[in-house]
Amino acid sequence: MQLPLSAREELKKIVGPHNVRTDEASLLLHAYDCSLSRTRPDALIHVHDAKQVPAVLSVLYRYHIPFVARAAATNHAGSCSPLKGGVILNLAPLNHILRIDIQHGFAEVEPGVITEQLQQALEPLGFFYAPDPASQHVCTLGGNLAQNASGARCMKYGATLDHVLEADVVLPDGKEIHLSRAHNGPDWIGFFAGSEGTLGIVTRLKVKILPIAKHIKTFLVTFPSLEDCVQTVTDLTAKGIIPRCVEAMDKPTINAVEKFAHAGYPTNAEALLLLELDGSPARIYRDIASLETICKQNNAVQFIPVKTEASRQKLWAARRAAYSTMAQTAPNVIVGDGTVPRSQLPAALRKVQNLLTEKNVQANLLFHAGDGNFHPHLVCDERNPHQTQYINRILKQILQICLDEGGTISGEHGIGVEKRSMMAHQYDKNTLALFSTIKRAVDPENLANPLKIIPVNFSEKAPAAPVLPEAILQLSEAIKKARGPVLIAGRHSLQKTVPGVSTLSTQTLSQIEDIDLINYTVTAQAGVPLPQLRKTLAEKGVYTCLPADEGTLGGAFASGCYPDFYPHVTAIEAILPDGTAVKYGGKLTKNAAGYNLIRLFAGSQGKFGMVTKLTFKVFAAPVPVSVTRTFQPLEKNELWQRIHPAIDKNQKLWQLKEGKNAL
Amino acid sequence: MPYKKPCLDPNSPKQHLSQIISEMGTRDIYSSVSFCSRCGSCQQDCPLYRLDPQETNSPRGRNQALRLILEGKLSEKTNRSLFAKMVEDCTLCGKCTRACAGKIPTAEHMLELQRALHIKRLPFSLQTLLQQHAKHPSLFSCLVRTGLLLRRVGAIRILELMQFTRLPAFAWLRRANKLLPKKIHSLNSLFRKAEIPFTPEKPGCIYLPSLEAVYFLPDLALQTVRLLSKRPPLILTQQASGLFAYVYGDLRQSRYAVYQLIKRHAKEKKGTLPFVTDSIDLYNFLKKAPQLFTAWPRLQQKANRFAQKVVFIADFFPKKPAASSKQLPVLLEKSALFNQEGPAVLSSEKFLLTLFKKNLVQCFYTDAEIPAFGYGFTCHNKAEQLGLQTAQVVARSQAKTVVTLSGLSALEANYVLRRFYPAAKAVHIVQAD
Repeated sequence: MQLPLSAREELKKIVGPHNVRTDEASLLLHAYDCSLSRTRPDALIHVHDAKQVPAVLSVLYRYHIPFVARAAATNHAGSCSPLKGGVILNLAPLNHILRIDIQHGFAEVEPGVITEQLQQALEPLGFFYAPDPASQHVCTLGGNLAQNASGARCMKYGATLDHVLEADVVLPDGKEIHLSRAHNGPDWIGFFAGSEGTLGIVTRLKVKILPIAKHIKTFLVTFPSLEDCVQTVTDLTAKGIIPRCVEAMDKPTINAVEKFAHAGYPTNAEALLLLELDGSPARIYRDIASLETICKQNNAVQFIPVKTEASRQKLWAARRAAYSTMAQTAPNVIVGDGTVPRSQLPAALRKVQNLLTEKNVQANLLFHAGDGNFHPHLVCDERNPHQTQYINRILKQILQICLDEGGTISGEHGIGVEKRSMMAHQYDKNTLALFSTIKRAVDPENLANPLKIIPVNFSEKAPAAPVLPEAILQLSEAIKKARGPVLIAGRHSLQKTVPGVSTLSTQTLSQIEDIDLINYTVTAQAGVPLPQLRKTLAEKGVYTCLPADEGTLGGAFASGCYPDFYPHVTAIEAILPDGTAVKYGGKLTKNAAGYNLIRLFAGSQGKFGMVTKLTFKVFAAPVPVSVTRTFQPLEKNELWQRIHPAIDKNQKLWQLKEGKNAL
Repeated sequence: MPYKKPCLDPNSPKQHLSQIISEMGTRDIYSSVSFCSRCGSCQQDCPLYRLDPQETNSPRGRNQALRLILEGKLSEKTNRSLFAKMVEDCTLCGKCTRACAGKIPTAEHMLELQRALHIKRLPFSLQTLLQQHAKHPSLFSCLVRTGLLLRRVGAIRILELMQFTRLPAFAWLRRANKLLPKKIHSLNSLFRKAEIPFTPEKPGCIYLPSLEAVYFLPDLALQTVRLLSKRPPLILTQQASGLFAYVYGDLRQSRYAVYQLIKRHAKEKKGTLPFVTDSIDLYNFLKKAPQLFTAWPRLQQKANRFAQKVVFIADFFPKKPAASSKQLPVLLEKSALFNQEGPAVLSSEKFLLTLFKKNLVQCFYTDAEIPAFGYGFTCHNKAEQLGLQTAQVVARSQAKTVVTLSGLSALEANYVLRRFYPAAKAVHIVQAD
């Protein structure tokens, strides 16, 4: 399909005639990314000024032309393929670091800035940007936010969504909005992260920067089995030692990497851990002793402290060369990205290894042991369609193994088009329908990166929602049948009676369902009072950042008073205003599959639905109590105004104008 | 099922490499291009992409374009202007290959595309002049000397005043006038004065001086020969290396020139002598000699033996040089055709480190590149921008001396530094101390 002539002329006026390309060669050269997906766009626009983006999107909206934003196009999921044709917006020229403020610890950047360029700019100032995707030397910060990328340092510092403070976003109809963590209401930046350009385009980012750790100690530890390797990480967590990085490799990968990079990895090891500790010298010194003891308790064969910076760099370079070892053997390397709860990692890896042996497929297995995130590297030659299909089938089987073990199909690479069909295996119909509602609400014309993330025919393929427990079912029925406004209430809100408004209390949801001391997660119902929660956790020797306030867990999460708690939440279950139940996440450190419902419901003050259950991370040592914000009414930005009416069509859910800290 | 292997120019196979030899082995052009997994690791290493981040400027884009042509999905005729621009803009520096996970030789792919599209990168007058070096070395020598003489008497200045150099075909004269040194010595007279014979009785090695060493930097040739004094070199000043034809001209000419060199090398002591060059570009090219003869197995064997004997002058530097008295920061500029890694660069770096110790500034040139081997004559504007970036890197490093690995790079670097950062000057590594 060709662009209408008038649209082309308007676009040329905005970005300049040379920056609108419709020649066949330019189009085909922007039809791909690092995945196997390849679709031809109808036009290509080079954007050299962020101010051009709203005007360009307005024109595209008026002419109903789909668009896909693209910068370095290094993703492995096919997120940059223009599946419905339309326009590719090349944002790579927006590559300026606008400001670095070390006094307040932030940097302002354009979306096309390469992650490593920011690191290089920060390094002389004694600062760093924590997310470190393996491809940081080529990937862009805008792309990192779109995919919610993370890296080896994720276990300690978190993924991209936790390091973006503000973002300027242009919605698919060209409307500009400013998202900030300082605003009251849902964590819109967290929600926007990982949306893969399906909700809009980021034109400016303000990211958090941290002082460089002056003292870093690196260790190479070998183990007789993968199980020992993973158990070590669990024990470290139990001891309250959170390493800066924990990377692991299996034997075939160690051999391949060592043969390629000669970094000094012991090739006789069945599994190894590459661990790094940072912090004050006293802290490191204390942790090293514990680390060595724990490693030896878990049958560590060798415990090798890395002595020089050169050796450390060599080891990391070799770790990063895992992709190269495979890239040299075949034309295409397919990098899988599955995440499972850490406790399930040995089982999942064993199943994957069995599958690969059974199918006679050569693959490297690398994993971020701290996060349960693993990356099988499989090779194929896309010129051979049968072989490619075969490898793709195996990759899907690997992802199914992740799902069977309670994991997710994407930890950090996103869904794109390559894993879209697997979304129907991970989520039930209700959750996928909610994703679809959100997408339709923000982008009613389906123009922004269409046909991504959400499976096309999910209503047929996705499983039905599981049967709800009695207590939740009753609440669901009550919300469904309510005719007038409903106030979802925790303990505080119950004291506020509003005339003409029915109150739906979470008091019946007061169970702490699971305290998992391997994954260090707790699953509790929303109505659990905070003092009871802290007491129970303390009895088990684990801690959370929530204070012993008088409210409930659900209230603490939804009130917006404890934003520091959001990064700790790993799963959510909720009832929507129409009575359907949705479920997102698991006992996972990372999840880049679908829209982040945790961050949508966080601070939403019960306006999107009733949170019924939360799974959140706990710690072996006491953690600082979350900074408390005073209860403030929601700020209804453009995203709110679009998403809220779509989810709560009949405006059923009531919201308190004032309240206490925890609802 | 075996793959159908497309090729670029089925009607004239001799004008193309039948196989490309890279670190990863020998592959035909289609296989070689297909090994690009589109990971994009090359992008930030490409000086062109960094200037203007578009896919058409990225090594990944170049490889994909070639692949689409080979698969018949893009017509080279209808998109000729874009492909010509892609080919002409590529600096052939090989940084992309270094960054590439699969070590894809993108520079070789671009040269193959250039040959298929019959693109003449150099202006006609310069192309014609340089072609004479292989065909009629004496005529070439005569033309160069006449040109230099005319320049000394101000002929180019007059042409400039007459706006003659504004014509595209002669614009290179302006750049050449600024680039080339003012004082010119004859290599022959210098050697005669220094009593250095061109053909010693018992040669210990064969020395092929680069074109710039013969005509524009005779001191470079002189110092190289002095370095080789323990192994008196047989000097080949009139012999074409084939590098020019390989990059800008006809592959058959290049193949012929290399064949002549192989024959000459084999003639002396049954091909056991080291074959020395003073230019990293020339070294990289001659190391690739077997690639030119993949269709002729017996010749390829000879080329293999020859390539093994090719050495860069850095290998003849003293193992333990006396530390330099200079206490100013020194920077090694590694730009080279096709590749910037390998033993030649490593030994050069090691030598400089021994010589200058802490004064050798460690700079990895992630954001700068002296466009080597005549790039400034083909893409003037891009070369200017790249040169400015290089000057910025030199200024940031506070280096006072920039050491290059080829004479042409030294000339280019000096041209850039004179304009943007006169505090530093560039020298060839042979003249480093």
